[in-house]
Amino acid sequence: MASKSVVSDGEQIVIASQLIELGARLQVLETETSLSRERLIKLYKEIRGVSPPKGMLPFSTDWFVNWQPNIHASMFINIHRYLLQHAHMSGISAVIKSYQLYLEQIPLELNKAPVLSLTRAWTLLRFFESKMLTLVECKKCKGNFVTHAFDLNHAYHCGLCNPPARASKRLHCEVAG
Amino acid sequence: MKNNEILTEIRDANLNYLMLARQMIRADRASAIFRLGLPGGLVDVLDSLSSAQVIRLASSNMMLARLRFEDEAIIEILASQGRDISLATTHAALLMAVQPVEGKQ
Repeated sequence: MASKSVVSDGEQIVIASQLIELGARLQVLETETSLSRERLIKLYKEIRGVSPPKGMLPFSTDWFVNWQPNIHASMFINIHRYLLQHAHMSGISAVIKSYQLYLEQIPLELNKAPVLSLTRAWTLLRFFESKMLTLVECKKCKGNFVTHAFDLNHAYHCGLCNPPARASKRLHCEVAG
Repeated sequence: MKNNEILTEIRDANLNYLMLARQMIRADRASAIFRLGLPGGLVDVLDSLSSAQVIRLASSNMMLARLRFEDEAIIEILASQGRDISLATTHAALLMAVQPVEGKQ
């Protein structure tokens, strides 16, 4: 940073701590804030009490088209688009707000992480930017769902209108177990 | 329910709706735009109303708020999704997030 403004520094720290609380990985923090890696690691340890996990971010687009992840990813991306279009939000603040609203809309099970982590949500947006993933309209319910950009989807039915046979079974097993 | 009871209930619902909407807008404008499904301009007007204006608006004998799903087929899909209640609510939320905001043509 050329000019060191205390106010903008403070804003960056607020954004970083919000992201850390929502479960962001270090790579996300480094891309979305102007804070140095050392300060981010320190902040991460202070908030979470542990060192940030190492290793690469998940990089497969296939994960987003599986049944359950697809519903969650579609939910997130629709909320994000809604906020960009109607609330005129942008950048990382739109990501944070969309993710908070996404958490509200999904049934959260106790002591279980949400299906779509913040880091996944962030990678999802990057896949959309690079046009690897896109949205397709379900012919039945008219909802928009995440799909591979070059799939043939002339008669697409979403996973909610056409859930796979084992879907509800698995859900019940998870509740019982 | 008698006719005048229904009208009283409608006015109560109107007032509740407007008060809640204003609380939501004041707490967090962006979330309110999403949760209410209203365009930003309308949200700002609601926010600027005085208490007297809110009461005047609410005292109409017709419902101020209406159903967000305008397509009968979609309501049927959501209502008949009986297997799992959490699945149905998720589906409804997803469709509401897709729908264009009312009154913005």
